[in-house]
Amino acid sequence: MNNTGGKGLLKNRHTADKLFSLILLLPAIITTIVFILIPVADSIYRSFFDYRVRNIISGQPGTWNNFANYIKLFTGGKLVPSMVNTLVFVFGVVIAQFIFGMALALILNTNMKASRFIRSIMMIPWVVPTIISGLVWIWMFQPQYGLVKYLVGLVTGGRITDFAILNNPATAMFGVSCAALWKQIPLGTLLLLAGLANVPDDMLEAAKIDGANVVQRFFKITMPYMKSVIKVTVSMSIIENFKQFPLFWTMTGGGPNNSTTTMAILSYREAFVSNNFGSGAAVTTMWMLMMIAVVLVYNRIFKKDEL
Amino acid sequence: MKKRTLALAMAAIMGLTTACSGGGQTQQSAAAPAKEAEKTAGEATGGQSGEGGSGEAVTIKIANYALLEAGYDEFWGNVKTGFEEKYPNVTIEWVTAPYGEILNQVINMAGGGDMVDCIFSEMIWIPALVDAGLAAPMEEILDADFLNDYYPNILEAHSVDGQVYGAPLYVSPFVLFYNKDLLEQAGLDPSAPPKSYDELLEIAPKLAELKTADGNPVYPFGQPTASVIVIGSSLQAFAQNFGGTVFDSDGTFNVDNQGFKEAMEMLKKLDELGYNPQNCKPKDLRNLFALGQLAMYYDNTWGFNGAKSINPEVVNFAATALPLSGGQGAGDTTLQSHCFVAVNNGPERAEAVKNFIQYVISPEILNDYIANIAPAYPAKAAMESMEAVTGSEFLKGGQDAVEKAVAVYQFPTLSDFNLELCALGQAVTVGKEPVEDAIENFKSAVQPLLP
Repeated sequence: MNNTGGKGLLKNRHTADKLFSLILLLPAIITTIVFILIPVADSIYRSFFDYRVRNIISGQPGTWNNFANYIKLFTGGKLVPSMVNTLVFVFGVVIAQFIFGMALALILNTNMKASRFIRSIMMIPWVVPTIISGLVWIWMFQPQYGLVKYLVGLVTGGRITDFAILNNPATAMFGVSCAALWKQIPLGTLLLLAGLANVPDDMLEAAKIDGANVVQRFFKITMPYMKSVIKVTVSMSIIENFKQFPLFWTMTGGGPNNSTTTMAILSYREAFVSNNFGSGAAVTTMWMLMMIAVVLVYNRIFKKDEL
Repeated sequence: MKKRTLALAMAAIMGLTTACSGGGQTQQSAAAPAKEAEKTAGEATGGQSGEGGSGEAVTIKIANYALLEAGYDEFWGNVKTGFEEKYPNVTIEWVTAPYGEILNQVINMAGGGDMVDCIFSEMIWIPALVDAGLAAPMEEILDADFLNDYYPNILEAHSVDGQVYGAPLYVSPFVLFYNKDLLEQAGLDPSAPPKSYDELLEIAPKLAELKTADGNPVYPFGQPTASVIVIGSSLQAFAQNFGGTVFDSDGTFNVDNQGFKEAMEMLKKLDELGYNPQNCKPKDLRNLFALGQLAMYYDNTWGFNGAKSINPEVVNFAATALPLSGGQGAGDTTLQSHCFVAVNNGPERAEAVKNFIQYVISPEILNDYIANIAPAYPAKAAMESMEAVTGSEFLKGGQDAVEKAVAVYQFPTLSDFNLELCALGQAVTVGKEPVEDAIENFKSAVQPLLP
């Protein structure tokens, strides 16, 4: 009898705990549903309709258009180049950001002089609004009187006088990537620096005594201990760069010759330049699917050998 | 258990405080003074309207990007003061956003049920506003005699499907800005700029040899090609110089004409010879022109203000001339304007908007603006004898281009279409693509955008 009563009490407490957890989770669940899931579902739904600005203003529903938005997207010749441009930008910036961020974090993790000061001023690019960053970099890359052109002229002894990185379809993506890296490296460095603090000194010391060199210690001890921080840092970077729009729109507008037209630019042009929200939603849906695929692959890679 | 109760209590308090401190109050407090102001205005006028109609206090919302631009803010501030003095029952509430965002701002507000009453607009925004169902036909808004005073070709340029939707304050075709000092330095007659592209190619080598005082090279000519909507219109004007068209008179898309091809070939040639700074925006060209690094370029006359703000000395060396002619073309161009687009939000607000538009578009208000801020050509007969126009040496050179200016075909996806034209310009210049291939690519790229 006592045993049954004890079980009942345990069950009640278990139910109450579950209920309590649910109550605590409720705000997050409601926020996610209202502000993320419903808009995403709504966007996918509208991608199958002819849905324009006048529909919003007049309150009239869109018209089913027999997948015309997707047919236009797949036959228009812009989707694949935009996907490729997006992936090139994302992978280029994420990899470069990780390498530079890690290098800086390792340097700042030593007992070098002024490391605190450098940590402080390093964050300046990160707090500058993205559009301002874009405008600053446009001026630096300006082909006639920009700082970069001047420096290139100085370094090459005046042999290269026509250096216009944003005007060349082959180099414009690199130009925008430079601006993105300048802005994003500080946060990456800061996160990795925090991760480095979790690497136990005694392990590194023991490895050193056992004869492990710097490279071995980095790859066999530092990196594995930082895995969770690296995962978060790289995830954030992937998401940040997938949705990168202001830098492209400010610096190149998707040009020259569509060489920097990413999925973000394509969706903006469809939705807000052509004022065709249905078509814009179709681009956004493809964009989202691409991002989900990349994140799934990324998570799978990191899941393989958890610490 | 205590912890749980405490956590629940904390969560409840947070929820309550968030709910109580939210936007509702802010909205209310923002709305309250407006209502109060309307009430006060109504009481102050005691139901008298001056010249402002029924006498009911009316607030009109006017979207205007120029308020955020240095040099223009003072003029618009004075317009508000002067108008509200003349029509004491009407209050102007500005809606502002940067140039590139104002159209979306207006559309987003309308989507949320908050319609502006009037938009200070670029001519090329008209079709998007009409397609959105925002623009009201000007016949519904303006007095007939005011509307009939506009030149017919200008009204046509502001029409969609035969209805006039824009009331231009002033107009400008793309005219040739040139630097008299640079022409003189190159041993050329500063009062005789080139009239055709052939003449340009003859004198360009001399101009290209020049250097500025600090050793920077001088470009002979500038035609923008960067990805900016208005540059698409500039490229349409460039094609028009050669007699090339993008649309037939009935609105059929047609770039299979000699003039259009010749225009793209010239653009490519100028790029290959290094005469045209690559992939520029109008503001880049204004900058180079102001700094003495560009001998001539195409711009709307109000672009002069941008150059002057960089270097006030521009007034001493800048002049305008007619657009160059090329191939079989006669140097025709296209028209641009700054215009008002009205939204019909009921008779009282429409009446106030009518009064506002007719107040601003008058010689008394615009003379100083055109003389000192944005030189431009008049759009209507009542303004053609304004001192700012007749007394301007700068405007004289390009004046005849207004009559020859062709209206750009207006359709809802014109903005995106113009960006594709920019991509074509980039393809033949920085993209190094053969002209015929680039035109074929352009034709397929714009197919989904055609009306």
